[in-house]
Amino acid sequence: MNVSRRKFLAGTAAVTTAATAAVVATPHDGDAASGPPPSRRVDAREKVTGDLRYASDRLLPGTAHAVYAVATIGKGRLLEVNTKAAEAAPGVRLVLTRVDVKPPGFLQGGGHAFQSLQPLTSDRIAYRGQHIALVVADSLHAATEAAALITARYEAEPIAVEIDAPGAQKVRQSDVLPTAHDVVAGNAPSAFAAAPVKIDHEYESPQSHPVPMELIASVVQWDGDDLTIYEGTQNASAVQNGLALQLGISPERIEVLSPSVGGAFGQKNSLQTHLAPVAVAARRLGRPIKVVVPRTQTFHNASFRPASHHRIRLGADRSGRMLAAMHDVDQQTSRHDYFPAVYTELTSRLYGITNYGSQQNLVRTDVQTPGFMRAPYESPGTFAFESAVDELSYALGKDPVALRLANDTAVDPISGHPFSSRYLADTLRRGSRKFGWSERSAAPGSMRGRDGSLIGWGVAAGAYKAATAPATARLRLIPAGRTYHATIWVDGHEMGQGIRSAVARLVAEDLQLRLEHIEVGVGDTRGVPPQHLTAGSWGTATALPAVYAALKELRKKLGLGAKGPVPSGRGETIVLARSRAPGQPEAIHDRAAQGLPAGAGPEYPEFTAFSFVSHFVEVRVEPTTRRIRVPRVVSTVDCGKVASPRTAESQVRGGVIWGIGAALRERSEVDERFGGFANPTLEEYVVPVNADIGRIDVGLIDKPDFNLNPVGVKGLGEVVMVGVAAAVANAVFHATGRRVRHLPIRLEDVL
Amino acid sequence: MKPFAYTRAESVAGAITALGSPGAQLLAGGTTMYDLMKLRIETPETLVDIQGLKALNYVDHSRPDMLVLGAGARMSDVADNAFVKKNFPAISESLWRAASQQLRNMATLGGNLLQRTRCSYFRGGEPFPCNKREPGSGCAALEGLDRGHALFGGSTSCIATYPGDLAISLLAFDAVIEVAGPKGRRTVPLAQLHVEPGDTPQIEHVLSDDEIIVEIRVPRTPSGRGSTYLKIRDRESYAFALVSAATGLTLARDGSVEDCRIALGGVGTRPIRATAAERSLIGKKVTAATARAAGEIAFAGAKPGHHNAFRIELGIRAVADALQTAKTRAS
Repeated sequence: MNVSRRKFLAGTAAVTTAATAAVVATPHDGDAASGPPPSRRVDAREKVTGDLRYASDRLLPGTAHAVYAVATIGKGRLLEVNTKAAEAAPGVRLVLTRVDVKPPGFLQGGGHAFQSLQPLTSDRIAYRGQHIALVVADSLHAATEAAALITARYEAEPIAVEIDAPGAQKVRQSDVLPTAHDVVAGNAPSAFAAAPVKIDHEYESPQSHPVPMELIASVVQWDGDDLTIYEGTQNASAVQNGLALQLGISPERIEVLSPSVGGAFGQKNSLQTHLAPVAVAARRLGRPIKVVVPRTQTFHNASFRPASHHRIRLGADRSGRMLAAMHDVDQQTSRHDYFPAVYTELTSRLYGITNYGSQQNLVRTDVQTPGFMRAPYESPGTFAFESAVDELSYALGKDPVALRLANDTAVDPISGHPFSSRYLADTLRRGSRKFGWSERSAAPGSMRGRDGSLIGWGVAAGAYKAATAPATARLRLIPAGRTYHATIWVDGHEMGQGIRSAVARLVAEDLQLRLEHIEVGVGDTRGVPPQHLTAGSWGTATALPAVYAALKELRKKLGLGAKGPVPSGRGETIVLARSRAPGQPEAIHDRAAQGLPAGAGPEYPEFTAFSFVSHFVEVRVEPTTRRIRVPRVVSTVDCGKVASPRTAESQVRGGVIWGIGAALRERSEVDERFGGFANPTLEEYVVPVNADIGRIDVGLIDKPDFNLNPVGVKGLGEVVMVGVAAAVANAVFHATGRRVRHLPIRLEDVL
Repeated sequence: MKPFAYTRAESVAGAITALGSPGAQLLAGGTTMYDLMKLRIETPETLVDIQGLKALNYVDHSRPDMLVLGAGARMSDVADNAFVKKNFPAISESLWRAASQQLRNMATLGGNLLQRTRCSYFRGGEPFPCNKREPGSGCAALEGLDRGHALFGGSTSCIATYPGDLAISLLAFDAVIEVAGPKGRRTVPLAQLHVEPGDTPQIEHVLSDDEIIVEIRVPRTPSGRGSTYLKIRDRESYAFALVSAATGLTLARDGSVEDCRIALGGVGTRPIRATAAERSLIGKKVTAATARAAGEIAFAGAKPGHHNAFRIELGIRAVADALQTAKTRAS
């Protein structure tokens, strides 16, 4: 990678600073800069005061506003778009129904975007809600009103939206993708056939949407041939490189700023297809354009979690040793892209099962391309697998915690390599103690609350690959009175998970600086390129090793020892350092620089790496009206060293809440007569509210994994959700005796 | 949102005059009106804003026979009113369990009574046919996603559920509303305010375009104290009812029922009063069996669609539970 071609930020003004957030000292601060720095979210103050600036808060002089009109048929051909009324509406500057841009390419097919289909480039309508025209006006109101005046004529075609709809086309993944992603070890069919105790059931997870609070939005500004994009994204480099390809310009002409993202959850992991037409319009008008994709449109013009159906077969001996597992999956995809199904990567390694088989199929449906919504494979996959393990525990008459402990393993049964670190058993033991699991009476329906409610206690384990990606860090130290001021730019995006806090803490600890003397720049292609995708729970385990390398480099350059503060009197010092996953070649940095996914894991040359979690859940089911409540959850996580305790605990709570939502509420509804999704609002797409959430007790094992990286960190953001839905479902079974094998579990399932 | 004119009324009379112009509509709390305007379902030429009319914002409990509520009172204020909480817990609870705190802080009682349905086909616009939104276009819900749709009062034109909570508790207590119009004032029993869709689902109530709800009067009764509002929904806040029940009881010394009120929400095209179920309990004690039986009577005429039959059993249980709570409070 040639970093010198980049116009690095000269000053610090444009970088969102950690320092601003840290001005107000908390009681934990103390005066001494030695010892571990306080655990605090460095942008907490801006967050709670509303001061934090998101991409669409960028108000540039002369900004015009863009709004899309959408297709109202489920699939077919666009015959005509009537834009006359819209063009004549007051304040309208431009209406586009076609743009001459290249296809963006599908992220999982060598491209940069969440799907290969670029609206406004052909007459094909692939799904209801697809963008068909772009209106640009002087105000948001004018653009919105004009977009509503656009009408279209279509030639409609039959549709199949849901995974089991007639007309949905099932294909074997190994027939259509270069990698089958099917994990096979030993001889599962014969081991299963011979097993004395068998479980064989099907489980269903619905299509669902991540609905981050911050909508998908961009502010687009041309300055001559240079283009600046302000957009909340997890992948500034994909936006940069992908848009450059679409527009036929050099990526060096584009800078992308993703200052803070108001929730991404995988939906913002790539180039969005709303962007290129807006860039074209902005160039034509010679004005900056702001576009905010409305909530309803984000249900159709951004990725979602595909529906998946799972068949789980487990075979065990009577002592509870699992002898065989087979995990077959049908997963929804779009007609135009094959979003891969990778459910078995985890379920093959959760336990030491030596005979494992799987077959994963894709089901083509008339939707936009689905994608990686938080714990994309692992949450639905463990709902199925860990429900089946619970069923096995009842079939064996064995405690579900003991059953899991009895099948723990130190070795990856698929590769034969050791795990880099694995404290799943510790999470189960510690969680079980905290929860009071030993008080559980095993028979379903045997525990009652004082108000007559049925009490159910459920457990599930989870894991998530400990992935790592290449990263670059640039550290600048400048004297500031008796101390120093450090600015660190690093590959990464702040989506609310707390990456700035984790980075600031590492620098503070190493250089013995106070947090307010540290600024962290992420998500900004001007700060340090590339800004490779932050996803797959690799953000911390990717950024921190690069920061660590930069700190080492700085000490080397200053001739300092491995520890201790920087002696006073040193001038401005700038270092650049890079890191990458174990076993990755140096060329991987070039791939990242092209805005292409460059993550590695869970299999590394000498070990397999996962983060682990256990969840203990209590549900209370009302005796008559059967509302299901979740008064408490005990979640214990092995994420290696905890980089930032405060934000880590928040991550766990957030993930558990997501799991409760998946278990009890979330489903994107479909009416096959119309296509698209039928509940595309925060009112109708039911996520939990505060009143639905009880106590979430967070435990962190906090044992560093130095095999994976010198900082000892593994991923956290995704593993925390894995297994929650299964633990809830298992608790519902324990409370009611009803085994619900589909999500969400609603009132009508337990009435 | 379609451009519109805006005028602020200085008095009720002024508002009525302003409402006389074509396409004029009333703006109270705005929590539904703005929402529907953004969806282009409401497209007023003129909005007549009555938020500034302090004369409509009051809770008067000085009368021994009536609780009197100004139609401009905010939902949150009435929900939190000590007199209402003590004497009509069902009314307070029906307000607390509606919408969100932010919406309750803005929304008025009068506006809430006329809240329009949350049917997603009604709100979704194109491509969904909806007789309520576009008379004659058809009803997408009849053969569609009807999990939340009405079990009572539907027609071949519309099965959209009346969404409000307050009207259910008011109905249980025989509330009447006072309406002001160009010809003066009149009272309308709440039971007669809303109409079933029939062939004209676009018509939802009996008020004319230039009439304003100015007051709500609730006769005081011992059953008000022994009352509750039970709302069952998909989450514990910010959701409409799968089913709700307002119940009120007056018990004799021996525990037998002297007066019984049961109204159902979330299940009808308009608020439902379950009079036969009420009668079934008179003179009896409230037990698990009689409460369940009352619930069964209340839901006897329910007509389920494709995905909502579970709400009949749920509703029966909700009525039974709400009667038990009312019994505890009445005892």
